[in-house]
Amino acid sequence: MNEAFIYDAIKTPRGKAKKTGALYQIKPIELLANCFKAIQKRNDLDTTLVNDAIIGCVSPVGEQGANIAKSALLFADWSNKVSGFQLNRFCASGLEAVNLAAMKIRSGWEDLIIAGGIESMSRTAIESDGGAMLFDPSVITHIGYVPQGISADLIATLEDYDREVLDAYALQSQQRAAKAWEAGYFDSATIPIHNTAGMLVLEKDEHLRPSTSLEGLAKLKPAFEKIGSIGFDAIAMRKYPVVERIKHLHTAGNSSGIVDGAALMLIGSAEMGKRLGLTPKAKIISVGNASTDPTLMLQGPTPATKRALKNIGMNKEDIDLWEMNEAFASPVLKFQRDMDIDPAILNVNGGAIAMGHPLGATGCMILGTLMNELIRQKKNTGLATLCVGGGMGIATIIEIV
Amino acid sequence: MIQYKKDIENIAIVNLEMDGRDGNIINHKLYKALEPVLEHLLLEKEKGQLKGVIFTSSQKTFLTGGDLEYLYETYSPEALYEYSQEIQSFFRKLEAPGIPVVAAMNGSCLGLGFEMVLACHYRIAVDDNDIQLGNPEIELGLMPGGGASIRLLWMLGIENAYNVLTKQKKFNPSEALERGIIDEIVEQENDLIPAAKQWIRLNNKGSRIWDVKAEQAPVSKDKLRETLKTVQRLTASLVSSIYANFPAHLSILNTLAEGVKLDFDTACKIESQHFSELVIKQDTKNMMKTFWFDLNNIKKGEMRPEGYGKFRTRKVGVIGAGIMGTGIALTCLVNGLEVVMKDVSESIVLKGKELVYSKLKEMRNTNRISAALCEKAKSNFIATEDIEQFENCDLIIEAVFENKNLKIKVAKEVDQYVDEYSFFGTNTVSIPISDLGSVFKLPKNYIGLHFFSPVEKVHMCEIVRGKQTSGETIARAFDFVKQIKKIPVIVEDNWGFFAARVQNTYILEGIQMLQEGFSAASIENLGRQAGMTRAPLALADSLSLNLVLRYEEQAAKHYGPKYIAHPAVAAINKMIEDVDRPGRPTKRGFYNYDDDSAERQLLWEEMENVFPTTQVVFDFNEPKERLLIVQVLETLWCIHEGVVQSVAEANLGSIYGWGFPAFKGGAVQYITDYGKEAFIARCKHYEAQHGPRFQVPNIIHKLLP
Repeated sequence: MNEAFIYDAIKTPRGKAKKTGALYQIKPIELLANCFKAIQKRNDLDTTLVNDAIIGCVSPVGEQGANIAKSALLFADWSNKVSGFQLNRFCASGLEAVNLAAMKIRSGWEDLIIAGGIESMSRTAIESDGGAMLFDPSVITHIGYVPQGISADLIATLEDYDREVLDAYALQSQQRAAKAWEAGYFDSATIPIHNTAGMLVLEKDEHLRPSTSLEGLAKLKPAFEKIGSIGFDAIAMRKYPVVERIKHLHTAGNSSGIVDGAALMLIGSAEMGKRLGLTPKAKIISVGNASTDPTLMLQGPTPATKRALKNIGMNKEDIDLWEMNEAFASPVLKFQRDMDIDPAILNVNGGAIAMGHPLGATGCMILGTLMNELIRQKKNTGLATLCVGGGMGIATIIEIV
Repeated sequence: MIQYKKDIENIAIVNLEMDGRDGNIINHKLYKALEPVLEHLLLEKEKGQLKGVIFTSSQKTFLTGGDLEYLYETYSPEALYEYSQEIQSFFRKLEAPGIPVVAAMNGSCLGLGFEMVLACHYRIAVDDNDIQLGNPEIELGLMPGGGASIRLLWMLGIENAYNVLTKQKKFNPSEALERGIIDEIVEQENDLIPAAKQWIRLNNKGSRIWDVKAEQAPVSKDKLRETLKTVQRLTASLVSSIYANFPAHLSILNTLAEGVKLDFDTACKIESQHFSELVIKQDTKNMMKTFWFDLNNIKKGEMRPEGYGKFRTRKVGVIGAGIMGTGIALTCLVNGLEVVMKDVSESIVLKGKELVYSKLKEMRNTNRISAALCEKAKSNFIATEDIEQFENCDLIIEAVFENKNLKIKVAKEVDQYVDEYSFFGTNTVSIPISDLGSVFKLPKNYIGLHFFSPVEKVHMCEIVRGKQTSGETIARAFDFVKQIKKIPVIVEDNWGFFAARVQNTYILEGIQMLQEGFSAASIENLGRQAGMTRAPLALADSLSLNLVLRYEEQAAKHYGPKYIAHPAVAAINKMIEDVDRPGRPTKRGFYNYDDDSAERQLLWEEMENVFPTTQVVFDFNEPKERLLIVQVLETLWCIHEGVVQSVAEANLGSIYGWGFPAFKGGAVQYITDYGKEAFIARCKHYEAQHGPRFQVPNIIHKLLP
């Protein structure tokens, strides 16, 4: 069997998905092309050797539509020989791209893949692509669809997390992220973004609030109370009648930030690495997918993680560092509780609550962050996981080489 | 039955007049009869001899109806689809561009009738509050099948169309104009035709927007996202209001949600598709059975004793100006009766009077009564401490506090005003009528009238027959209850009568589940999700556990050695004695009532200590079913014991009396819904698990052979 190695991982800084956000002026294709150019340059890559490009994108419409992977490859002047496609596994898209790349390499049929994700949430708003399960009365009632914030609040209610616990977690995310940025832990992977005139637009995450305090977080209003009261609470309670009422505890402060961003990884076989003269950084040793109840939705990471551990015959004790995407505070706390993970080795450099969650890109980003942190701490094995719409979960285990 | 004449301006007036009825009913037959008329009109149009068409009627009811017998009996989706398409194509012919068609409505127009009117180019109605317009199909679990939902979608937009079809449903002409479902109102019937002609003179084309934009959807692409958000919101609110239990709501919403993206003709096919899918559903059949066939049987007087002339109540005396007394007075007043309401002190009388006045005002403000009726009600109303005002009452209703001695005392005071030509009704929930009636001069004219709170809203009244009550008095009570537009359910003078007794089994089962280790929240949620209007523990609190227990004591007394104690009694005693939480009246029950005015009360947070949760529920079906099945079985026992005598009364009584799920068609129809054999087998399963309260009485075989 061929092993799949990660030769490089880069990401853009994350810009606030607002008109005032730095990346709002950058077209999605430009943002992604910036990444393609950067990774090519960093590795002095002969792009004719790349077999395929896999790009995760959750709202692949408009400017992000019609296969942004191939579009951006062409725009970035990569060889015409490189094929590319876009995939959508909701929030897992970026990590699914990586996992799929690893599978391609391990199959032996292909030996060099570029994988990652993009989401320009300022320009292509969440749900711009409509949705088969979002807007149809028969589908909504049939499957018990609720917006994710309701699921996050439902988990908090069922698990008896109070607002203080969620806010404390959010504060920790902010503090850890601020510290990591300050210490320069993200510098090597983060590529500055320039506009077409070559002027620097953004080089650091924009969403961070290092001065966040518990008092400040406590003042924020529940974000999903209104949508719950119009009926989504009732939809959730049809499946979870044990709940007397859903406590709406998630706010803009303890949920992930809405941002623009993209990320890429160069993944290939050992042989191809040698041929290119590249040093592998890590090896993708196992992956796992899972799916659970779509209404509670955000609890997929636990079964996905178990699946990935089982695939390689590992125990959770074998994992040195963990990354679980901070879509909301409650699913992270639930995952940590379910898997009984020491909080000190989970999301050590903060996460999406502090830095933002560019849907299609996040999975690739957090795996890159995990890899670099393992190298920095001289540790060996890490696992990255995300909760995913529809109740799904995804996990990837890497080993530093 | 259809008269046709054309005036010198070449405007044709088509007069609908069905023989042998005081209203026009639209069904297969009528529109089949209209088809040649339409063809004739088209021919005239081709010859250039037709300027417009006016539909009108010389009957009191302009056009109502539908083919309920056919829909009830048809289970083939193909046949129903074809039926719906046939009606749609007839209406399409009516509105096909070319000749302006006006509906000039002198009376009510509902259902399929209103579907036809919506296919006209212009709708005019006489401004008369008694006229009802709209598509209330949903009341029978149905939806329009002739294209009305799509027409309303184009005319009103999705949210208003959904509301018109599922919320208020029936409108008087001024409301209908405000909603945009008709175009003009005229003051008098004589103004109808001139107004219609005037419109035709000014609009010689007659075309609909969906024909002008034949290939387009009603919502443009740039507005679609906003509309989809509305769809999402309406869906969520549908689940929160009815737990997605009534399938017609979802069928209508689905039709509209799909319709926003499609051209008119395709959208109409979608309507036909949802219509056929809906009509074959058992829930729909249940509702048709109960709210049409059963209800009509009751209204026809199936259970009314024969041989007594119709009794018309003109003047009603009401003793007691509390919640029940004022509710009864109000209900009588808005149905045109004179009312004398009496209580013991001036302050109580005044307070009661104010309450009635404020409710009249509210009804007037929301257009539920006309200004004239409101004034008439006020002038018909006397609130007094003076007993002599009861002179000449046709009926005196006693509605004082539930205390036997008090009831006897106040009733004796008015005994002199009850004669051979009148009768006396007592509003009691549980005191035996026979005991009360025996002390009177005319025990045979003494009867129980069990109203439900809030009286003006609950559509039902139990007529309790005492041992000495005469057939004539029952007939009079029956006529009176119908006169105030309530459903009369005649019950035997037995412990708990019918409604309260069966409702109690629901409460007891809920409490028993608490004792078994279900969490209180899940019991409450599952009760509501099963379709009950109220959750079992909340209901127990509102009655107070003492009353719940009292019914059990009455049952024990009634059945003697045959009585089998309900296991929930132990839990009730725990609540009353150990933790002193007997219910809402003391602000301490299964719920906290610290803030009594709060919109939603919260469960007592220490319940877990008294009833620890040990059952983790995975199969919600079973607890939901148990909560309903106990009521079904108790209803069967009531029929077995002669407490209630007809299936129709039992079904409607269960829905209106204590909120049994309407989509199940009531407590007896539930068995048909379930399938008799499956139901019996399921009860055996529960009997083995939970004891003899799940035993099925043999009468099931007689009722459902």
